Amino acid sequence: MGQEQQIRTACRNCHGGCGVIAHVRDGKVVKVEGDPASPISHGTLCSKGLAVTQLAYHPDRILYPMKKTGKGWGRISWEEALETIAAKFREVIETNGPESIVIGQGTGRDYESHLYRFANLLGTPNVLTAGHMCYISRIGATLVTCGNLPVTDWHGDPRCIVMWACNPQWTNPDEHKGVEFWQAYKKGAKLIVIDPRKGFLAKKADLWLQLRPGTDGALAMGFLNVIIEEDLYDKEFVDRYVHGWEAFAERVKQYPLDKVEAITWVKQDLIRRAARMYARIKPAALQWGVPTEQTLNCTDCTRTLVGLMAAAGNLDIPGGNIFSVPPKVRTVSEFSRHKDLSAEQRSKRLGGDQYKLASRVALISPKAAWDAILTEKPYPLKAGLLCGTNPVITRANAREAYAALKKLEFLAVIDFFMTPTADLADIFLPAGTWLEQNHVADNWKRHGFVLARQKAVEIGECWQDHKIFMELGKKMSQPWWDTVEDALDYLLEPSGLTWEEFKQVGHLKGEMTYHKYRQKGFSTPTGKVELYSTVLEKWGHDPLPKYTEMPESPVSTPEIAEQFPYILNAGLRTPTFFHSANRMIPWLREIRPDPIVEIHPQTAEKHGIESGQWVDISSPRGCVKLRAKLNAGIDPRVIVAEHGWWYPEIKEEGHGWDISNINILTDNSPQSLDPLMAATNLRVCLCSISPSENQEVSTWQS
Amino acid sequence: MAKLTLMFFKKECMGCHSCEVACKQEHGLGVGPRLVQVIEQAPDFYPVYCHHCPDAPCKKACPENAISRDESGVVLIDRQQCIGCKECLEACPFGAMQYDEKQEVAIKCDLCIERLKENRPPACSSVCPTGCIHWGDSRSVAKQISSGTARTRIH
Repeated sequence: MGQEQQIRTACRNCHGGCGVIAHVRDGKVVKVEGDPASPISHGTLCSKGLAVTQLAYHPDRILYPMKKTGKGWGRISWEEALETIAAKFREVIETNGPESIVIGQGTGRDYESHLYRFANLLGTPNVLTAGHMCYISRIGATLVTCGNLPVTDWHGDPRCIVMWACNPQWTNPDEHKGVEFWQAYKKGAKLIVIDPRKGFLAKKADLWLQLRPGTDGALAMGFLNVIIEEDLYDKEFVDRYVHGWEAFAERVKQYPLDKVEAITWVKQDLIRRAARMYARIKPAALQWGVPTEQTLNCTDCTRTLVGLMAAAGNLDIPGGNIFSVPPKVRTVSEFSRHKDLSAEQRSKRLGGDQYKLASRVALISPKAAWDAILTEKPYPLKAGLLCGTNPVITRANAREAYAALKKLEFLAVIDFFMTPTADLADIFLPAGTWLEQNHVADNWKRHGFVLARQKAVEIGECWQDHKIFMELGKKMSQPWWDTVEDALDYLLEPSGLTWEEFKQVGHLKGEMTYHKYRQKGFSTPTGKVELYSTVLEKWGHDPLPKYTEMPESPVSTPEIAEQFPYILNAGLRTPTFFHSANRMIPWLREIRPDPIVEIHPQTAEKHGIESGQWVDISSPRGCVKLRAKLNAGIDPRVIVAEHGWWYPEIKEEGHGWDISNINILTDNSPQSLDPLMAATNLRVCLCSISPSENQEVSTWQS
Repeated sequence: MAKLTLMFFKKECMGCHSCEVACKQEHGLGVGPRLVQVIEQAPDFYPVYCHHCPDAPCKKACPENAISRDESGVVLIDRQQCIGCKECLEACPFGAMQYDEKQEVAIKCDLCIERLKENRPPACSSVCPTGCIHWGDSRSVAKQISSGTARTRIH
């Protein structure tokens, strides 16, 4: 047995960020541990990260490039795989133009820089990511409102914390981790929790506001109403640094508390108390979660919440919501060479004319992609390269996503396993896990850090995603570097460090300064926080935020509610899984073997549903089966369901993608999308429930 | 000498299950035995774990004297001596005693004695983001829990 070596690296089982020490023996990672020296995770590590050895060495993992022929999948060389893709892309470019190639990724996984560089140099404006309804949408909306994304400053000792639709201890809140929230909270901060479901934090909270799913924007207006009416806002800040305060305050007046209570189901008195607490205790930090973005209120809700931060004077102050200063490294944007995409190609971005904010942050919506494939309008998409994404499970109206990807003439995927999406591909490229990568990690986040993720091992013929884009790019005659590490040297150049030196340092942090607006203003056209947005006005949109009722709800479609009387709150996150990942990991699946739908005991009784029973959940778009769990901590009118479910243990094509996939129920019709960002509503629609006739659904065997 | 013990401060367990996977990794366990387990009934979480009882019912129930309590207070099972009768599983009031179907013997928490020898915390405790898993001599753990000064960080 060889000597054990310890390699300090950074996890990426979710978006990543946690420090890890990987123990390597005889060329194999035998164990991972949290790194106490990590500035992000401080030694903790979650169940997903801890289970990485079962991911990396999983018997079903695909370790070689594969090609699908009439006889099924067969192993090929990297040379053949890349040449096949390059030849197809060259053919499409010649016949239809580069815009007919879609490049896509799922959730943020630290390779945006390389994926976008490949797409931009290819000349396609059609990059499909989760960003239209997750994080990038928040960045887009804050960009036009206050110039950057204000993130919670846990290190600055907030005295009041608002967890707005976020559970950072179960799921990744994008920048910092749950442990830092917990440290801040344990110092005695007041806690306000906005959540339709009573979770751990709601139990701990000083005030818990149990809102109707999807009404966050209206509730934020309610907060502002109290703050303005009771003169609790920061007049000095508002006078000097807010553009259009008067108009904004007039808009807020349209949301008196009785109206907000009717919309949100939250009692007026509770809204008042929460608003007072947030406005009076300084500093206060607001951590927002992705449900605020995953409806048609995406942009408006984000803008309203920035209004709340601004009104309470919490922007860029210690312990408030801050604009972190990035370390001196090249930005993802510069590396991606967005400027090299010609104006002509940019003008061809699918949905770009309509969804201007999405276009501003260089992405398209899945709906635009599916339409272009299925209807060939405005022009057809012919080929695609999708990396680390499983849209037939994770995008709204999954049956349409499935039909579109099935129809796409040529599809290459980059992944670890044969997923339901990979089943539809022609070429499979095996990606390296985070144990198999060298990268300047976390460089796309807004927390002011970059982390050294260094390779611990190599497995099979897997390549890290960055190398795949790089080598494919070279096949397409694009300018790249000889090695992955050469590109990292370029990324690190402004810091004065090489990759080899950075590895020794472990991480870099930007020099934080607060109140930057006092010298520089905000990076908006007026230099102020644009609660009245000059950008949106120029684009012909309402310059002030508002709340819009869900397009499918008891209020807007009472006729649909007759047949589908419950509000489905889809997308409940779990600590062991990350979107559609990890269902094949034994340690994690043992903890959560089945897809869960939570039902209030009264509602369950009404339908003769018992805990543990499989139930049918239906919406106007389809029906799926999940296992019932009773939860008195949700509203009896609401049904809460997990997302991301497929069954890796079903070996046939499709892997049971349509059995428990909650996105078969969600909607992606044009009226359900955010008008600026094309954010898809993955969260709220109407549904019905009943005990399932088939009680033999789960196939997982311990 | 005060004896060692393990205690979860239940009120601060938020059901992330990190302790479970850390334990599996540390002990090289696959699917099956769960030496620590968190049962979820939102918004509450109930950790199931070995308390290393002074007068351990599992020890008393074992017909083969395979279970012992060492001088530091850690209740251990000698798997060579175990005959797989499961009497200890029945005796444990916490449901912490586990059965390893593959080896056909009982298995239990050993408080990561190998780690403790190196002055490192038990695996479960080392990863807990709320710091709700306490170990140490029974008096100081009890004191921490009752005074509400339970450490929020291990390191």
